[in-house]
Amino acid sequence: MIDQFPALIIVAPLLGAFLTPIIGWRYRQLCRPWALMILAIPLYAAGGALLQVIRSGPFGYNLGGWAPPWGIEYRIDHLSGLMLVLIAAIGLLAAINAKPGVSMDLKGKEPHFYTLLLLQITGLMGIVITGDLFNIFVFLEISSLSGYGLIAHGEDGAPMATFNYIIIGTIGASFYLLGVGYLYMATGSLNIADLAAILPNLYHSKMILVGFAFFTTGVAIKMGLFPLHVWMPDAYTTAPGPVSTLIAPLMTKVAAYIMIRIMFTLFQPDFSISVVPVATILGWMAVVAIIVGGIKALAQTDIKRMVTYIMIAEVGYIVMGVSVMNRPGLTGAILHIVNDACMIFGLFLIIGAISYKGHGREIYHFQNLNKKMPFTMAAFVIVALSMCGIPPACGFFSKWYLIMGTIVAKQWVFSITLLCSSLVNAVLFFRIIEKAYLAPLGGGAHGHDDDHEEEVIVRDEAPASMLIPILITAAIIIILGPLSGKIIAAVIQHAVPAAF
Amino acid sequence: MKNWFKLISWVAVIMTGALLIYGIHDMPAWGDPDSPANAHVSPRYILEATEKTATPNIVSAVLADYRGYDTLGETTVIFTAAISCLFLLRRRGGKK
Amino acid sequence: MLEYILAKYNFWIYVVLMMIGLYAMMGKRNLVKKLIGMNIFQTSIILFFVSIGVKKGGATVPIIMGHGHGHGQHLIKVADYLNPLPHVLMLTAIVVSIATTGVALATLILIYKRYHTLEEDEILAIRKDPSSYKTLG
Repeated sequence: MIDQFPALIIVAPLLGAFLTPIIGWRYRQLCRPWALMILAIPLYAAGGALLQVIRSGPFGYNLGGWAPPWGIEYRIDHLSGLMLVLIAAIGLLAAINAKPGVSMDLKGKEPHFYTLLLLQITGLMGIVITGDLFNIFVFLEISSLSGYGLIAHGEDGAPMATFNYIIIGTIGASFYLLGVGYLYMATGSLNIADLAAILPNLYHSKMILVGFAFFTTGVAIKMGLFPLHVWMPDAYTTAPGPVSTLIAPLMTKVAAYIMIRIMFTLFQPDFSISVVPVATILGWMAVVAIIVGGIKALAQTDIKRMVTYIMIAEVGYIVMGVSVMNRPGLTGAILHIVNDACMIFGLFLIIGAISYKGHGREIYHFQNLNKKMPFTMAAFVIVALSMCGIPPACGFFSKWYLIMGTIVAKQWVFSITLLCSSLVNAVLFFRIIEKAYLAPLGGGAHGHDDDHEEEVIVRDEAPASMLIPILITAAIIIILGPLSGKIIAAVIQHAVPAAF
Repeated sequence: MKNWFKLISWVAVIMTGALLIYGIHDMPAWGDPDSPANAHVSPRYILEATEKTATPNIVSAVLADYRGYDTLGETTVIFTAAISCLFLLRRRGGKK
Repeated sequence: MLEYILAKYNFWIYVVLMMIGLYAMMGKRNLVKKLIGMNIFQTSIILFFVSIGVKKGGATVPIIMGHGHGHGQHLIKVADYLNPLPHVLMLTAIVVSIATTGVALATLILIYKRYHTLEEDEILAIRKDPSSYKTLG
């Protein structure tokens, strides 16, 4: 059974997605239980695959029985096993959370929504699991297309934001495909392991350099790395609540995964250090991304838009960890992929719950929210503490490794940027927490709503299907912190190339 | 604002073009039967495919058998696009 | 110089096509023109891939002619048939590009329903100041 897990991870959500419209055609309310059931399968299989990798090392799966360079191979190693579990877990929680939001925003379209959700998860898992460069492109397009459809259904500006996303996202995917073409032209192979064996002799070929440049640019577009982030804030802000909850934490992280794969598995690390100075360029782009993301986030009053700019800064963190090219830096980057996915997911869950309850997303709407939604706000405080890097929440540990990495690399500007960014996050979140917990009753600070000075604030918590994922995510954020040592020892240290 | 925008696109286009032309230089001669792309993986398809898949058309054999999961992904892409269009263009169901 | 270009002329054509497409995607302000630019861009990639698979010297389409399976295999010479793999990849890429165009057209319909225009500048003006919205008829 365990031999078939790699196929099961992809085939289960794919078949589920094909069957969802048929089920929803007649029994619309069955779509959600069906999607939850289907999503539990890849979570179980991914967990099993990760355990298998930890026990006995990476393993492959030849689809259709064709040997790798000729057929397509699925390959699960420590990094992809970790990503699979992350995607499956967040996908399942997002599907649990989606019910109230879908019945509010997307009434009557539940079958389509759950189909696209399953396809999105299929695409993201496929990118992570496959060992074939062209197969990555196909799955990238599956996840992108389902993302376009889901996002365009949002609020007022959504179709326009989606169209921009389609144009820029297609440039990104096409650049990736072009990179595949150049590598294919130079080597004749599409399999990552096969290419990794052939490429070192060709490092000075101009085709390889051009191919690498297109890979990096394409993936940076998908990742939203500054200055290629222009599509991201609009798309994720205008998307419907359940959709941004699903896509925002995962899409950027999976793109970061592709970048790590290309830089460390497909190419040897010294290619990005000595042959082309990609590492240095990426590092400084990351610095700019962190600074610009932080400043733009400070300027926002809409919290959902603020979170999208924080995401841009967080992408900068991951890229910075990759760019310093040493063991603590890359460990921090991989750990931050996991932690940041959980934190951004938590933030979007909370924003979704708050909007569902009819509260606005502007910061002044948070006044006294702790009395109306005590559990949600408690979870918000936990996520905020993690974002600022306060132990024992998980954000502290990945930032610790990232800063260690920059110190080992003697890149002092990078270290200072990281520290300052944590301060910016602290300012960002404490002004909201202050509004929610410490502002006087009755809205005196802003002077609106003066008529009801004595208004009794009733508790009006989000429905259970939203509250449970929020609390689970908050718990995960706290648990991941003390566990990060174990995660690094069992998984991440094997994902870092031995040369470091 | 408008000119600024055009300027950025020109810069991006020229940079991309320069990179592409830079890459042309090292490419194997066009149509070379011994170029790496024609010599590494694909000969085995030509030699084996007819025998192993019983299909004279090698493109079909590779499409549907050797790289069949790419084609599964391709059909899924079409399905995704169809569902996306339905999701976007159908009027909200239930209440007409 | 001319000979240098002519030796790989289809790659030069692909570069020119790609630049045209990229410029249309980024520089044009009409959304349909952007979409057309996207198609040109993807077509140029297809041209690039198909050019990789070419073999000069009498190679033909990769369909094995003239004998059934199992016997006569020694007659097949690799140099006689084009490289099938780029063709396979491009079949998939064409489908992907059609699917993307379809979804983009669907969003264009939504945009047109909402703003009654497909000029990006006019849409931005309407979003900034909803009173400039012109209703049709």
